[in-house]
Amino acid sequence: MMRSLRARLLAGMVAGMVGLLILFGVAVYAAVHRSLVDGFNASLAVTAKAVAGQIEQKGQKLKFEYDDLKMPEFERKDNPEYFEIWQDDGKVLARSPSLGTADLPRLSGSVAAPGFQALTLPNGRPGRAAGLESTPRMEDQDEDAGESRGDRASGLPAKAQRVLVVTARESGELESQLLRLRWILLGGSGGAILLSLLVAAAVVRRGLRPMNSLAAQIADIRADHLQARVARQGMPAEMTGVVRRLNDLLERLQAAFERERSFTADVAHELRTPLAGLRSTLEVAMSRDRSAGEYQEALGDCLAVGKRMQSMVDNLLMLARLDAGQVKLNPQPVRLAELVDSCWRYFSDKASARRIVFENALPPNLTCTADREMLSLVVSNVLANAAEYANDGGRIRVSPSGSDRPELTFSNTGWRIGQEEVAHVFDRFWRADPSRGGQGVHCGLGLALVQRAMNAMGGRAAASVQGDVFSVAVTFPGSGRVCAEGQSATNEPR
Amino acid sequence: MRLLLIEDYHPLQKALAKGLREAGFAVDVTGDGEEGLWYARGNDYDAIILDLMLPKMDGLTLLKKLRAEGRQTHVLILTAKDTLNDRVTGLNAGGDDYVVKPFAFEELLARVRSLVRRKYQDKSPSIRIGDLRIETADQRVWRDREEVHLTPREYELLEYLAHRAGQVVSRTEIWEHVYDFHSDASSNVVDVYVGYLRRKIEREAKPPLLQTVRGRGYRLGDTP
Repeated sequence: MMRSLRARLLAGMVAGMVGLLILFGVAVYAAVHRSLVDGFNASLAVTAKAVAGQIEQKGQKLKFEYDDLKMPEFERKDNPEYFEIWQDDGKVLARSPSLGTADLPRLSGSVAAPGFQALTLPNGRPGRAAGLESTPRMEDQDEDAGESRGDRASGLPAKAQRVLVVTARESGELESQLLRLRWILLGGSGGAILLSLLVAAAVVRRGLRPMNSLAAQIADIRADHLQARVARQGMPAEMTGVVRRLNDLLERLQAAFERERSFTADVAHELRTPLAGLRSTLEVAMSRDRSAGEYQEALGDCLAVGKRMQSMVDNLLMLARLDAGQVKLNPQPVRLAELVDSCWRYFSDKASARRIVFENALPPNLTCTADREMLSLVVSNVLANAAEYANDGGRIRVSPSGSDRPELTFSNTGWRIGQEEVAHVFDRFWRADPSRGGQGVHCGLGLALVQRAMNAMGGRAAASVQGDVFSVAVTFPGSGRVCAEGQSATNEPR
Repeated sequence: MRLLLIEDYHPLQKALAKGLREAGFAVDVTGDGEEGLWYARGNDYDAIILDLMLPKMDGLTLLKKLRAEGRQTHVLILTAKDTLNDRVTGLNAGGDDYVVKPFAFEELLARVRSLVRRKYQDKSPSIRIGDLRIETADQRVWRDREEVHLTPREYELLEYLAHRAGQVVSRTEIWEHVYDFHSDASSNVVDVYVGYLRRKIEREAKPPLLQTVRGRGYRLGDTP
């Protein structure tokens, strides 16, 4: 299979052209051949008729006057013509001088439709022969009364005899004409094929120019220059679809690249601030001799910063793994109420210090089949977010919802910013508050992780705001089969 | 010299405040933009160290507001945003210097000192009043080729007076530039420190450098 479209088009066009030319050449050759041979035959027949016209019947005798014929063609040395005449009884009446004692084949045919045949002449050259039977002219009695009378006196009625006249001529001229025709046709076809190859090549190149221009435009697009688009004007109708799809692809690529770029920048930015804290704490601590207590305090500060950085790196790694689909899930029955309670333990002290009320409204036997670790990652992060952003004296509530698909809703009071901002809560590094937060364990990755983790488990996470209440709903895949108020779970010890 | 530090990341805020105070600066600290603006409006700081990503009001807005009100306080922008565009935007909004996190504390200190010098139209790190010489870079003082050892607070008092040499400086001005809200000092403390300072820099054989102007304050050096 040819790889190049140009070669394929070219080959198709040339093959078609060659076929057409062969058909045309054969047809022309056949027509010309026929017309030349017919002409040659006709002239042979004319000669034969002329020869036949010279035969006379006198009484019972046939007479042929060669001299009256006055055709030097039968005598000339070079390319002579031939004739031979037979009587009814098979005897040869006359031969052309050129024939000598040789014979021509006996070719039968009538005056109206003479017989023709190709043959080898006595001189060894190729030739054609025409043969016709005719009835010789009767000798007029008035011309030679005596003889005629005598014949009549013999008492026999003059019966008309038939003769066979065969003429032949060298067909070398015809053959050479046909040969010339063959060469002309062959050469012409060859030339036409060559010419058509050139024309086809030019046409194909011209026709494929938009593809080359497309290729050149695509080649110019670099990863750092994705805002480029392929120009649509000048493109043939067949390619506008391709160009449009290509531009769509570029747009998606650009968006993805931009997301990655801004993500990298965000990561660098997010790591810079704790690094600055770490470095300044260490530099200030080392700037002079200090008491053990002061060093201890500085080390404690550094440890806290280190933990924050570690949690951020862990979260980033988990995000990357989730995005790459590298997380292995081990689904097992999980009691949701219990899981929520155990996750809340990490936040309960700080939350109660801020008079935040926590309510777990899940039925104790609500069970769900899911990966326990992944699910606690989800619950912890949603709760951490709620605890961080709930207002002092506010409320955090976890409740079951969703009738056909199992769903948990985590809601907290204290949403302070515009409703439209809720669209961003799952973005990496997005924070309701652009600052890092005074105590700063929150780095803006929690809800992004929640969404990715739910997606990895085949479910989804959605956020909504009603008044000052912010809610995250996590939906598990499937129906009651996956998540149900399990009867068996009630028997297990709590 | 009195600084305002507006930085919301607690560990960094703590380390910077400690380091700057140990370097002799009086430092007021806040973690949010609105409070920062309020501080900056209410006090004549020698320099402000400003983070850009702040709760309640971001650093650029704060800076633009200050400049719109005609405040000339030198502002050093301290941020993790490091692109050319960020720097240009920061400086065009009225910032005087731009330091990207993380940074060397020594460099920050040097830049802050340079901003403070510029406030008093002093570009040289060394100040001379008669035979008194002050090296602000390493905070050392000589009287008549003999080094004088001062505590950080005494040094700050001397440097502030030296920056305004020949002018009468009121107790309140001294208090505002040498003490921060962190210290619970009253303005009486100024007289006490002026006393300590006199004991260290005056020489009996020579006319006094640091004079009391009755009812108005103090003056270092002669009126030009």
